[in-house]
Amino acid sequence: MSTVEPRSPKPEARGRLALLFTLSLLLFGCQPVSETASQPEEVIFWHFWGGEDRPIVEQIVVDFNASQQQYRVRAIAMPGNNLDLKFFLSVAGGDPPDLLNHDEPVIADWAHRDVLLPLGEMATPEELDRLNDWLFPAAKQLGSYDGKLYALANGLDIRALYCNQTMLEEHSLPLPRTIADLDRIAETIAPPGQQEYQRMGFLPNPDRLWAWGVVFGGTFWNPAASETRSMITADDPKNVAALEWMAGYSQRYGPSVVSSFRSGEQALTGTSFLMLADRRYAVMMDGQWRLRDLAAARDTGAGGLAVQGEEDTPQDKFTVVPLPPPPGGVKNAGWVNGNSFIVPKNSKCPQGAWEFMKFWSGLDNEARAAQACADGGWIPVSHEVVNQPAYQQALRDEPLLNVFVELASSENQHPTPPLPVAAYYLQQVKRAAQNVMFREGTATPEAVLHGAAERVRLRLEEVLHEE
Amino acid sequence: MKSNAMNDNHETSSNIAGKVLVVLATALFAIPLVWMVLTSLKTPEQIANAPYSWWPSPLRWENYREAVSAMPFLRYLVNTLVLCLGSVAGTLFSCTLAAYAFARLRFPGRNLLFAVLIATMLLPWQVTMAPRFLLIRELGLYDSLGALIAPTFLGNAFYIFLLRQFFLTIPQDMIEAARMDGASELGILWRIALPLARPALATVALLQFVAAWNNYGGPLLYLNDPQHFPLAYGLERFVSSHSTQTHLLMAAAVLFTLPIVAAFFLAQRLFLRGIATTGLKG
Amino acid sequence: MSLKRQELIAGLTMTGPWVLGLLTLTLYPFAASLWWSFCEYDLLGQPRWVGGSNYARLARDISTGGQFWQALGNTAYYAVASVLLSVLVGVSLATLLSQTIRGRTLMRTLCFLPAVVPTVAAAVLWMWLLDPQAGLVNKALTTLELPAQNWFRGTSAAAWPTSWPTDAGGRVFGSKDGLVLMSVWGIGNLLVIYLAAIGDVPRALYEAAEIDGASPWRKFLHVTLPMLTPVIFFNVVMGLIQSVQAFTDVYLVSDGQGDPAGATMTVSLYLFLTAFKDLDMGYASAMAWLLFVIVAMATWWLFRTSRKWVHQ
Repeated sequence: MSTVEPRSPKPEARGRLALLFTLSLLLFGCQPVSETASQPEEVIFWHFWGGEDRPIVEQIVVDFNASQQQYRVRAIAMPGNNLDLKFFLSVAGGDPPDLLNHDEPVIADWAHRDVLLPLGEMATPEELDRLNDWLFPAAKQLGSYDGKLYALANGLDIRALYCNQTMLEEHSLPLPRTIADLDRIAETIAPPGQQEYQRMGFLPNPDRLWAWGVVFGGTFWNPAASETRSMITADDPKNVAALEWMAGYSQRYGPSVVSSFRSGEQALTGTSFLMLADRRYAVMMDGQWRLRDLAAARDTGAGGLAVQGEEDTPQDKFTVVPLPPPPGGVKNAGWVNGNSFIVPKNSKCPQGAWEFMKFWSGLDNEARAAQACADGGWIPVSHEVVNQPAYQQALRDEPLLNVFVELASSENQHPTPPLPVAAYYLQQVKRAAQNVMFREGTATPEAVLHGAAERVRLRLEEVLHEE
Repeated sequence: MKSNAMNDNHETSSNIAGKVLVVLATALFAIPLVWMVLTSLKTPEQIANAPYSWWPSPLRWENYREAVSAMPFLRYLVNTLVLCLGSVAGTLFSCTLAAYAFARLRFPGRNLLFAVLIATMLLPWQVTMAPRFLLIRELGLYDSLGALIAPTFLGNAFYIFLLRQFFLTIPQDMIEAARMDGASELGILWRIALPLARPALATVALLQFVAAWNNYGGPLLYLNDPQHFPLAYGLERFVSSHSTQTHLLMAAAVLFTLPIVAAFFLAQRLFLRGIATTGLKG
Repeated sequence: MSLKRQELIAGLTMTGPWVLGLLTLTLYPFAASLWWSFCEYDLLGQPRWVGGSNYARLARDISTGGQFWQALGNTAYYAVASVLLSVLVGVSLATLLSQTIRGRTLMRTLCFLPAVVPTVAAAVLWMWLLDPQAGLVNKALTTLELPAQNWFRGTSAAAWPTSWPTDAGGRVFGSKDGLVLMSVWGIGNLLVIYLAAIGDVPRALYEAAEIDGASPWRKFLHVTLPMLTPVIFFNVVMGLIQSVQAFTDVYLVSDGQGDPAGATMTVSLYLFLTAFKDLDMGYASAMAWLLFVIVAMATWWLFRTSRKWVHQ
């Protein structure tokens, strides 16, 4: 049994070994020993893509394998959770995959634990330089930890406000351009004080305090902080102001109404887009992937009133606008998430992994990447990809996509802070905001955000000072 | 005469009440199943636009064809069957022996061992998963169906406990009589306990079959090569955080559930035979 | 060879495979997690001994009513409610399904099948059925002029009876009750066990009762129920152990984070998030071992009291 427990002698020794390993890889690449053998090097690739995206991903892999002889990517798909567990076990067992694609904020956590290869180990300095200008600011932030790029994003998740224009016009309401507009939409379509509500003009989702805080001018992270504690800024007064605004909805409608309406956005029932289903909302925050649902509804003539059996009435019209700021707030702001490639430290073929991630993200290969993004309705990580004919065509086919692409290029879209407590931080803030909005009680926005910030500070100190 | 008639009346009325109740209860259990089947025939547009409507319109039978052709169905099915049958064999072998010992033998340390058996179920998998994985790896079972089948030959606390409860109901005098006749314990288990416990064995076999059929997390942890994956894995491909294909998921779920109906019918005949034998001997 | 010796040898041989499994596959994981509970361990590096500080953190959390304490409360609520309901529904449904009635096989199959439906599909189904706004269950309730419930979305710490009269609009049931309902729907495995146990009741006992002119209800009360007690006991013990560790459905329904506002954050989910998202395996192990002690004590108590009511 003693053969199981110790995985490697000592951290420093392990580090040295890894260095030696990567050096040898840099020297020899992972090319086959003899050119004539022409046995392609295998790149084991784990990812989380399912549903409608799976065939597109499978096609990218096929195309990559056909595009060159040196590497062969073997993809294994599994839901994100299983991906995490399998990754931890593979690290413990000493044979991680060669490449991962992930969509949760794990990069800082894992990079801090020294199990990821920085991109600099695979990319040439020239490529790294080029990446710096090539990537959207949000995509760059998404992959960075401690001043180094550890991940290459291959798609961004951008959120904006979907608006049912027909519903707004029926009430002579303008599209929401300010916070006051949003409040008026909510109060006009669903005047507070009723026993039951059939529909809502708008309801803020507590999980999206991460976006609204930034829109209100707040930050969640101070990279320049001199001491660990002050890096965490969840209790920034501007974030508090955002949560106070959100809590106002809960006070007007009551926590149980707010929580019961929220249910439509949960991950699994997210299989249906409630903007379309029964006009439950006039305005709703959601991501670019909902455009697919809108398009499908347009094609089948469903959506809005038509579903309710009145076949003569025209379909509802939908549009998308960025999150509107309050006076003194920030434009085109929000919380951004995305999919990124990471290479585990003991990857047997980091160079092959690097070639594949470049192929998918589109560095050197913008046209193919643009086609994949157009097929999947994904948001590219670079202007260069957006500018390709295939993606330009997608923008013409679905003009609403422009709003999301414009937001993707904004400087004001921020991911979860790249700290080695990112997952914990993300969850603590969501739970704090939910406590204010969903529970009866006296918890004030300021108190819950302060509490969450303190918990995260404590954890961050533990994590940063444990060595 | 009179009281007898009343008694009959009483019986029939309570019989009818029982029958009405069971039909109602079954209906309640069946409603979500019906919903599942109906959803499996809807178009994705209908699910998206009218998620609360009952009837599929139009009917989309292609969902089934698409669901099956989206994965190497036969290969996954074969893997699943190997997994199910192997683990049922392992479970029946190891658990029957241990359960009989716990229920019917008095040996020193029995109660302590039984307490340990129960205790092994109390620690959540989240904290035991990693070391267990490394052990299985060390045993050279990683990335083979053996990683999932071999452990079943080493017993499972849940089934041992369950079978013990069944063995406890076998009348002690039958066992004592056999012992007096000089039968070995294995002989008693084989000739007396097992025939009497046939419904229980059928139950354990069915439960383990279903558990292996549905096991998804285990194969994903212990297998690497998609060639080894079971059907349950194929099902997950329709799920994604932003683009779940509910129509295909439900079609696959219906197909996935159907074979169990067959297994259940089979096991059920064993319950009935169990009643008959017990009735004759009891 | 004495009978005693013979029994000892038979006992050790027969439990042999399981003991081998215990020594090879169970002992080491248990020891490792106990060791980790005294370490700072992030799964990716090496465990570092920190003494009892994880347990001190737990004590602080519990004394201040923190997130672990709330998770314990949620777990206790879910476990007690689902175990009680599973015994009640399991015994009565299995008894009903044992009647001689046409279509019995079909009905048994239908009641069993939910246990086979993959959890992902079941979670999707139930989130539709229990949608507070338009779900089938709430529609049925409002048709019967009963108040709609906030299934899966209510936050009240204990849905009922504390909030029964006071909660606005008669919204009595909450998120945990939705989970309990889902677990009762998937009761099939238990149903099979009960059906088998009823099948095991010697027919002679019923015949004797019939000669005494017992009604079906009395037969149930005096023959079936006592003969079922070993299995009921099994149901209670295993129900407790399994509901405390329930994970997949909780994870799916709660958006993987105990939504809403931690109302469905069970210990098992909290453990998972702590270990695999926060990479705090040391603290998670301490939680697991505290849970171990609590459930072990409850189980011990159940075994002790079982002598009074379980037919042996």
